[in-house]
Amino acid sequence: MDKRNIWSFRFTTASLVLIPVAIGINYLGKLFANILKLPLWLDSIGTILASLLAGPIVGAVSGAVNNIIFGLTADPISFVYAISSVAIGLVAGILAAKGWFDSFGKMLMAGLVIGVSVAIVSTPLNIIFWGGQTGNLWGDALFALLMAQGMPMWLASFLNEITVDLPDKLVTVFVSTIIFRRLPHQLLHMYRHDDKIETL
Amino acid sequence: MKKIIVEKLKYRYPMTGKLALDNLSFTVEQGELIGIIGANGAGKSTLCLALTGLVPHFYRGAYGGKVVIDGLEVIKSEISELALHVGIVFQNPFTQVTGSKLTVYEEIAFGLENMGLDRSEMTARIDEALHLLDISQLKDRDPFQLSGGQMQRMAIASVIAMKPGILVLDEPTSQLDPQGSDEVFKAVRRLAKEGMTVIIAEHKIEKIAAYADRVLVLYNGRLIDFDTPHKIFSRTDLLSYGVPAPVYTQICQALGIQHPRSGTYPVTLEEAYLAMVNQHGDSLC
Amino acid sequence: MKTVKSMSLYVPGNSIIHRLEPITKLIYVMVAGVLPFILPANPTAVLCLAVTLAMLTISKTLTKVIPLTGFTLLVLLSILFIQGLFHEHNQTFLFRFGPFVFFKEGLSYAARISLRVINLLLGISLLSLTTKPSDLIDSLVRRGLSPKIGYVLSSVLQIIPQMAASVNAITDAQRARGLETEGPLIVRAKAFLPLIGPVIMSSLIQARERAMALEVRGFNANRRKTFLRAANQSSRQTTIRILLILILFAAIVWRIFA
Repeated sequence: MDKRNIWSFRFTTASLVLIPVAIGINYLGKLFANILKLPLWLDSIGTILASLLAGPIVGAVSGAVNNIIFGLTADPISFVYAISSVAIGLVAGILAAKGWFDSFGKMLMAGLVIGVSVAIVSTPLNIIFWGGQTGNLWGDALFALLMAQGMPMWLASFLNEITVDLPDKLVTVFVSTIIFRRLPHQLLHMYRHDDKIETL
Repeated sequence: MKKIIVEKLKYRYPMTGKLALDNLSFTVEQGELIGIIGANGAGKSTLCLALTGLVPHFYRGAYGGKVVIDGLEVIKSEISELALHVGIVFQNPFTQVTGSKLTVYEEIAFGLENMGLDRSEMTARIDEALHLLDISQLKDRDPFQLSGGQMQRMAIASVIAMKPGILVLDEPTSQLDPQGSDEVFKAVRRLAKEGMTVIIAEHKIEKIAAYADRVLVLYNGRLIDFDTPHKIFSRTDLLSYGVPAPVYTQICQALGIQHPRSGTYPVTLEEAYLAMVNQHGDSLC
Repeated sequence: MKTVKSMSLYVPGNSIIHRLEPITKLIYVMVAGVLPFILPANPTAVLCLAVTLAMLTISKTLTKVIPLTGFTLLVLLSILFIQGLFHEHNQTFLFRFGPFVFFKEGLSYAARISLRVINLLLGISLLSLTTKPSDLIDSLVRRGLSPKIGYVLSSVLQIIPQMAASVNAITDAQRARGLETEGPLIVRAKAFLPLIGPVIMSSLIQARERAMALEVRGFNANRRKTFLRAANQSSRQTTIRILLILILFAAIVWRIFA
């Protein structure tokens, strides 16, 4: 990925149209994970692809809109975690600009950083709304165990969140990167609004 | 009046080495119906995009020469400004639905809302467009629930409601069944009769032969010829540019049936029939 | 083309709640959701909850709330359990249930959380059940939300059902071509990429075409946008809105000085 200022951006038509598609891809990931009975959510592939294609802001907006729409039309609780989705988009976009998606080794690190970032953002939400729980059976069992040992709630809650998030984000980043690398070049350049028109 | 002026137009897509359009020059008069033909990759779609400003403003890349639409130079104008002079309809009717409107009527209003028209002007234009495309009865339907031909006519209606003087169609029927594509061609012909300048890139050579005033042949991004259907389809080297002549022309060529004065071959069924009757029938003209 | 179920929780109706302007309801949800975090939690949450429940009853959507809250109630139950047993400030013994010893501090903490969450959940449900998503977006755009963001929101509503409808067709097609979608985890995991890859690719290509179609319909024009449909406005609703916001401000002021 070439050097360009990732924060200088405007909402071009191409990047705006990308957002609903990214959200659709998030949803497809979730549906296919369900069909295949995979023990992961895989519902942020679109957000990460949007970040890789069009930068952190478009990724973050995709994440936010994703949860707002699902909150409004399917599951009201989804609203609360809009901030976590924003974090995914932002962090993925920044890491991509720093070249963390260029090799598979670095990409695993990127997955790790994204997973931890999401857990950091989600933990306070879990504490405010759910007394530290995530609603995930295994994570909450661990949480109960740690609380029974007298561990502080914030730490138990963070560990609860990260056992759930880390594997999911690692696989999500892996899948997104593979797909991103297979995209035809013509699809990539149209999100670079700062390219100049050369004169022949 | 010259509606379109193209001068030494060159264009190359980003991250590619080859020119997609190579030194094209031609002009189109007000009210003409122009057919663009050529093999896949000849540059038909790129030329269509260049007439609307999507090339180069949307695609970027490298650009040379100039295109002037209704007196506006494309390279110096915004796409939304050009859209008031030239509309474009693409192959896939499905991707042209904005995806944000719940009825055909509202879908057609999309561009008019963006233009900032007042409500009475909007409804007048929508009604007219619905009527011209013969889809008034569909106005309350969900855009995504239409058939391909209906959806494509809605796409055309959405564009012509913005009242451009020029309509560009890039293989508008390639993804439609025969009935849908007949619907679209009939609508296009009606628009041309209303005085609209129409540019249509198309593989269905018989349709081009029947409807076009002039035909532009592209090959490898270069302009090979731009003339009347009779002259173009009577060229014996046409196939070497990847385009066959209409089947009626081919039959008449094989039988040596041609117009006595111009020496060109018939291009439509009707002409072929008349020419055959004239040569073999009782009355010679 | 296949008929696709639209994406919405909206229950059609003509109650006074249905007829409230979407923005009025949105402001209510925000104020009612936030108040228990500012004012004493339990009484405030109960009060807001009562108002929300009353409105759900008036709009005849009360029973539709149940499927929306099912999972949350389950989680809340587990919160009562875990906090009642293990909350870090647990001191006062309350009761024993089999091998489990419940404490007052944990249970009251869990109760406070549950009230807040249910209050928020029902508030959002009220908005979703009595408002067409497209009407909400429409009125937000009229109130100054960027039309482009408005487009993005309504476009999501249309795209998701279409993509969801394609899922079964894709799965069947790939199965027919010999893709294993059942069996051990590793086999199922390997099927994920072949299932999702092609549809991502084609939807991104379609996105490019749609972007062009929008461009030539003036999507990027810098003119002031107009609306096909007239807005329904009433001054009474403005009063309600101002009142709601005043309540919120009063609560914040109270919190700062009390």
